[in-house]
Amino acid sequence: MIKVVNLKKSYGRLEALKSISFEVEKGSVFGFIGRNGAGKTTTMNILTGLIKFNGGKIFIKGKDFLKNKQELVRSIGYLPETPTFYNYMNTYEYLNFIARIIGCNLKKTRKSVGKLLEMVKLTKQGKRRIGGYSRGMKQRLALAVAFMNSPEILFLDEPASALDPEGRVEMLELIEGLKDDKITIFLSTHILNDAERVCDKICIIDEGKILLTKNLSQLYETYIQPIFDVEFEEDPEDEVNLLKKFSWIESIKENGRRISIYVKDIDYAKKEILKELSKLDNNITSYRTRKSTLEDIFIRMVSKNEII
Amino acid sequence: MRSFKAYFKKEILESVRGNKYLILFVGTIFWALLDPLVLKLLPLLLKNYLPADLTVLFSTFNRDTAFQTFLKDLFQIGTIIIALTLMGLLSNEVSLKKLVFPYSRGANPAGVVLAKYIHYTVTISLFILIAFLTNYFYINRLFTGGMLSIEIALKSSLLYILYYSVLLSILLCLSSLFKRGLIAGITVLVLGYTLSIFNQFKVVRAYLPNYLLFKAADIGHIFDNSLIPTVIISFCIIILLIFFSILRMKKIDVA
Repeated sequence: MIKVVNLKKSYGRLEALKSISFEVEKGSVFGFIGRNGAGKTTTMNILTGLIKFNGGKIFIKGKDFLKNKQELVRSIGYLPETPTFYNYMNTYEYLNFIARIIGCNLKKTRKSVGKLLEMVKLTKQGKRRIGGYSRGMKQRLALAVAFMNSPEILFLDEPASALDPEGRVEMLELIEGLKDDKITIFLSTHILNDAERVCDKICIIDEGKILLTKNLSQLYETYIQPIFDVEFEEDPEDEVNLLKKFSWIESIKENGRRISIYVKDIDYAKKEILKELSKLDNNITSYRTRKSTLEDIFIRMVSKNEII
Repeated sequence: MRSFKAYFKKEILESVRGNKYLILFVGTIFWALLDPLVLKLLPLLLKNYLPADLTVLFSTFNRDTAFQTFLKDLFQIGTIIIALTLMGLLSNEVSLKKLVFPYSRGANPAGVVLAKYIHYTVTISLFILIAFLTNYFYINRLFTGGMLSIEIALKSSLLYILYYSVLLSILLCLSSLFKRGLIAGITVLVLGYTLSIFNQFKVVRAYLPNYLLFKAADIGHIFDNSLIPTVIISFCIIILLIFFSILRMKKIDVA
């Protein structure tokens, strides 16, 4: 559905995207994750035709994006991270304005506007001016705009960032529901739990480079290394320094008296870790092994990139 | 055409809710109402404070000079009001990221630019026409003498409409170039006032749009052959700058 080949974008001397390539299959949810400033929004702005790019090729529905931009963007819906509207308009007026741009007929628009407002729970506020909306309400309205005319591809940039916990759950349920409607979703987020819940494929971007693109199931297979969480009675600074010297330990993440040990050789670690911990002076209050989450994989990938 | 229609309606709504119609209306009509009254009442008000030889000056006002005073004031103050009210036509849309949704849903930049230009040209033209007719009505009531007629007032208004259409195209083009509308507004003002100086030079004045204002005040000889190059050049400027604005809006990053 979307194919990006060697995409480059620079802002003056700063290279925001360093020749990135990836593919998004039709009807899938593609999770685009990365830290702030990694290049997520820049990629989305390029793919929605809002900003130009310096090199590479984009194909959407098999067509060259540059040559067929006007036609292709009509099948795309975009929810930006910070949506802006004409604040003097009310919701009905704004949605009608967008419907006119898309070219929906009046009868169809009236019906779909009502449905969309119901979906994003803004029916009651429909006649209030947008200028008086909260950030969360604006986010909901932006979602309604992105959904107008049932787009085939949806670009969602941090869709849950301004929503309350209830709104966030609803948003995730909505995305899960869209999967069934075979809508292709390009989801940018740094809430990794959300990505883990709804995405089929994960792409990690850092400093304008793609570090990894894999199906979620493949990702777990490749990186499914248990993590050893250990909690000490006292601050384990010396113990951490000691453990870091072992070659079978990859890294240690510290969080107060609790540490998470990432290992290179799982079989060896299982035998050795308890032996080594028992030799330490600091008493252990808890010890458990857990499976890697997307957050663990993300941290591991990004830290490797920092070393490179 | 879809984007044109959508943006034309949006501009109407924005002008109503943002009081732009009111500001432009007052900015043009105000002088049409005030100038004849002031010219009529000033000699009476200042009679006891001015020497007799100076008050004679006021008595020389006839319908033509009253009309010319209105034209001068409309240009001086009306231009400021129009430039400062409409300076952010495109720059505000870009800098405040208002175009993100419309562009991401396929808005055509040509439709956006044309809708804005045509909407405000029609609006200003209508207000200028009303202002000229109102001024003509008041002058006829308050002054005598001179050769001012409805035909002259209408011809004069046409030249003003063409002048402001040129000014609006410059404003729109500069607004697409600068991120801050104020720069566009001030540049238009400087350009408008500076070009008027060239009306003193016979060799070049017919090739500049400000000659339209000069001829609009030339009662009795408003439409003559000397206007042909000015009108042609004015239309060329409008077409060129609108085309350039469209091109710029097609290439600009809106996010």
